[in-house]
Amino acid sequence: MRGRLLAVGRAVAFVALALVLCGAIFEAAGFSAPDMFASILDGAFLSDGALLHDMRWACPLFISATGVVIAFRCGYFNVGTQGQFYLGAIGGATAVALLPGLPAILVIIAALAMGMLFGALWAFWPGWLRIRSGTDEVITTLMGNFIAVLLLVWVTSGPLKDPSGSGQVTASPPVPPAFRISNDGGVSPIILGITVAVGIAAWVLVNRTAFGVLGGLAGRNPVMVTWQGARLSRLGLGAFMLSGGTAGLAGAMEVLGPDGRLVSGFSPAHGFTAVLVGLVANLSISGSVIVALFFGGLASASLYLPVIAGLPSAAIDMINAAIALFITSRAWPSRFRFRRVAR
Amino acid sequence: MAGDGAGEVAALACRDLTIRFGDVTALSGVTLSLAPGRIHAVCGQNGAGKTSFARACAGLIAPSAGAIAIAGQKLTAGNSAAARAAGVQLVHQSFALPPSFTIAEAMEFGLTGRAGAIFTRRGLRARWAGHLLALGVDAKPSARIRDLPVETQQAVEIARALAGEARVLILDEPTAVLAPGAAEALFLRLRRLRDGGVTILIILHKIREVLAVADTVTVLRGGTLVAGPEEASAVTAEGLARAIIGAGAAAPEAQEDLAALVGAAMPHGTAHRPASTAKAVMTLAGVTTRKGPDGQHLDDIDLTVGAGEILGIAGVEGNGQRPLVEAIAGLVALARGSVTLDGAAITTAPLAERRRRGLRIIPFERNTEGLSLSSPLWENFSARTLLEGSALALIDPAKLRREARAAFATWDVRFATVDHPARSLSGGNAQKVILSREVDDAARLIVLAQPTRGLDLGATAFVWHAMRQARARGLGLILISSDLDELFDISDRVIVLQGGRVAGQFAPPYDLGAVGRAMVGAHP
Amino acid sequence: MIDLIVAVLREATPMIYVAMAGVLAQRAGVWNLGLEGLMITGACAAVVLTEQTGSVALGLLGAVVASVILSALLWLVIEKLRANPIIAGLGLTGLGLGGTDLAVQAIYGSEGAVTAPAGIPTLGPGFGPFAVLDLLVVAMPVMVFALWVLLRRTRFGLRLAACGEHPFAARSVGADPARMRLIALLLGGALAGLGGAELSLGGLQIFSVGMTAGRGFMAFAAVIFGAGHPVGATFAALFFALVEYFGIKAQLVFGERAPRDFVLMLPYVATVLGVWISARLRGGVPLSSVEMRDG
Repeated sequence: MRGRLLAVGRAVAFVALALVLCGAIFEAAGFSAPDMFASILDGAFLSDGALLHDMRWACPLFISATGVVIAFRCGYFNVGTQGQFYLGAIGGATAVALLPGLPAILVIIAALAMGMLFGALWAFWPGWLRIRSGTDEVITTLMGNFIAVLLLVWVTSGPLKDPSGSGQVTASPPVPPAFRISNDGGVSPIILGITVAVGIAAWVLVNRTAFGVLGGLAGRNPVMVTWQGARLSRLGLGAFMLSGGTAGLAGAMEVLGPDGRLVSGFSPAHGFTAVLVGLVANLSISGSVIVALFFGGLASASLYLPVIAGLPSAAIDMINAAIALFITSRAWPSRFRFRRVAR
Repeated sequence: MAGDGAGEVAALACRDLTIRFGDVTALSGVTLSLAPGRIHAVCGQNGAGKTSFARACAGLIAPSAGAIAIAGQKLTAGNSAAARAAGVQLVHQSFALPPSFTIAEAMEFGLTGRAGAIFTRRGLRARWAGHLLALGVDAKPSARIRDLPVETQQAVEIARALAGEARVLILDEPTAVLAPGAAEALFLRLRRLRDGGVTILIILHKIREVLAVADTVTVLRGGTLVAGPEEASAVTAEGLARAIIGAGAAAPEAQEDLAALVGAAMPHGTAHRPASTAKAVMTLAGVTTRKGPDGQHLDDIDLTVGAGEILGIAGVEGNGQRPLVEAIAGLVALARGSVTLDGAAITTAPLAERRRRGLRIIPFERNTEGLSLSSPLWENFSARTLLEGSALALIDPAKLRREARAAFATWDVRFATVDHPARSLSGGNAQKVILSREVDDAARLIVLAQPTRGLDLGATAFVWHAMRQARARGLGLILISSDLDELFDISDRVIVLQGGRVAGQFAPPYDLGAVGRAMVGAHP
Repeated sequence: MIDLIVAVLREATPMIYVAMAGVLAQRAGVWNLGLEGLMITGACAAVVLTEQTGSVALGLLGAVVASVILSALLWLVIEKLRANPIIAGLGLTGLGLGGTDLAVQAIYGSEGAVTAPAGIPTLGPGFGPFAVLDLLVVAMPVMVFALWVLLRRTRFGLRLAACGEHPFAARSVGADPARMRLIALLLGGALAGLGGAELSLGGLQIFSVGMTAGRGFMAFAAVIFGAGHPVGATFAALFFALVEYFGIKAQLVFGERAPRDFVLMLPYVATVLGVWISARLRGGVPLSSVEMRDG
């Protein structure tokens, strides 16, 4: 219990530090920091309908974050969530495009499954390169993000392009209403249900299966589990594909849900933010719930700021980045120091 | 802090030296003074504080209290540059040499002075070739540290220490990695240095070696000074042993154990079971592996371990011990040969399968191969059993915690809670956790790689006791150790590994000369 | 052919400066994933300061100062707060990307591109086809050579390598790994800032938000591909630039969209290939430090 409280305290402290740093930068840039933070608070939590907006952003963030937690706990820095998210969206849109005549429930299931599959595949190849030849997964997954962005541009201006739009439009035709799983507001029983189901499954996997314990051990000391007889390749590839799958599911859910279509360059900060959610939650599934709500609030403020307050949304990106900068710090004075047991 | 009675200033003196790391006190109130131009041995068991003492004298650790003086001048605490300027040089137990450096680079980077001075490869070689030759380092200055055999690395480490003007040379357990003959050569070199005016402080834990090389003897125990510095001529092996072990400690199982623990006299060993009638638990036939990244490999290894037998593997580190353990574990593919366990062929079986059949391993490196230091104790304990089932199997953490607690109680592990990380344990307790995990009822063959390295006498005796118990239950054990005392005391048979080959097989009573010769590849 | 060389040199030089910053950091034992953030900060500072003050020299100075300050921040977070260098580096990159966006909006009121009135002085008409090469490009080989000498032929370089490879050995000879890392990061920061300045000021004299497009990460990959060796990393960066050059050429040739997007992917694919090849050559041992793992 003390360990948990300490982790929470640490997270809060470093988030606060990040906010202070950003405040200083805002002032230096000529904005009024108090105004900025007040607007962010408004946009995130206080304005009308803010909480519903937060949920709309928090659900996909939470789903992707469970994947981040799984991968990072196993010691793999899969920072390719954005790319896997985009591939999942492509998968979902592809299913919708290929199966127009089937009953809605089948199409929805197929689309979500395709999303998971595409996302898992996009995490598979960096995982394979890492497991088989030690190729560092940070670079490969990061490059995968850039490649996925271009892939999405191509898909939405080529094969899946909306024929009724102008030549400049890079988006797919809208998903038929029957296949939508939510309206533009983004919060619906289906989405909430899927989110809860993913959360429960992820929690059980991490906390109540052998994979959870072994993955955690492997993440902290892969050499030791190898000497115990673990096949790191299986554990590792499993971790990569699970994390890609969740991001892909989130992507497909966005297309079938609030976005209603596949748009080039949508939700560009989703991946990085999902990684942050996992980190701030100290790689805990249950912690990710609350943290996802917090970052969901920031994400909805990111839309509110330029529209209502006339402030640049880059401020939110900076807050996220500053949190990332500090959040893995370990030098918080720890009164909870494990005592060396006497011989 | 005056010197001894002759009125000369002590080469190294300390008063009330205390070193604390958090809650642990490594050294407490040590006061001593060492005369110049002599070889001073500081001995004690693992954990007595010897390495901390050495590092404090070299300025690598700032003492929590007390002061050190070199040749009468007080040493700035915790400042290694000041210590080196005062002429103190430390030869570390595990060498402070970056593996990718060439010998010349390793000699160069320690020098003080113009950090920006540009050198050329050839200039560097020329500058150091003479120094290396004079010190008997027989390797090219352009050779890389990681390609050198262990004795040469140590010679380079000593050469580096002597590159500056060394007035006090401290050596931390230099004999731990050497074959018997090489230790003799080292002592010869040290005597020559002493005769040249260098004061030498050598840390040892084997009484035999202390009596062979020291002019004075000092004993540390539990962080305090219990004896010395005394003239070596006035010291007896029994007196030293008593000082090292202490009066209150439990007596070891056998007289030979005591001798082995403190390295007083070389045990000759007695076979405890007629090995020829025992059923073979493991056989290796013609086992050959390819050269690994560290240059080691196995070449046509044949060996057998019977039920109820302890097979000792002797050899200088780096002669194939690691490939042997990896081959038995199945972590490395065999180029040729076969391995059987309890009669079943396991040559192509993965490690998980071998473990299911009863293979258990106490790996070389406790902290990196045996445990995950930052993971909770119960996770470390459960790892083996969790791997026996499916990855998606549901687990009950409360039950696993209970099982861990029960096992730790049986093995007398001192721990706070099973949720504490493994790094909260002392070395001996950490090793007990590993033993509690590995030595279960289904075990058939246990490979123990350097199991008592770094453990104090009590923990070492405990491990030996556990090994004998396992042997009595009919298990086969393979013990790999660079400590011949330990091997001779406990093994029923000893095999020497040299250059990846079996260089000799020995039965008790063991002949140190023959074994030593096999270890260096000389023909008997 | 000459045109190819000139174009590739101009394309590669920003990445090479940043890669050298990466080499310095890597020798000291730090995986600097903040390179992208440093690069974009340098690019923005160079153009904005030149636009505001009219002086290219001030622009370059500003680029260096801004990147050095950010590098110092990274060092503080990694050494004093003991944060994970990979995540902290990514955070620094995010700060750089967001901060430059914010700065542009704050100063110019919109997210549009900023144009500088002047660029970095070039060689000039006397040099024929090399006329368009500017001072930073010309200085690049000298800079790489000087860095090579510093890292491989001085005691400082040996001590720095010891800090990264065997910190205990470094401490035992009196070097302070934390201080050496600071020096490496600050020096690298200056180089990365210059690399960013070369990208914007030395190119089209324009800064647009996000213009680095992953080049900082590619520079990082060049360090891995070049095995941490200054000359190796330089050649790796040249290779990536070559791929990018052919990509741009192909864009002009192909009118339609499809190959264009794939051609734009080429540098990123090349980066993945590069790190994969160097991993194979290393024998399949992952480079990742055990930071987030057992201490």
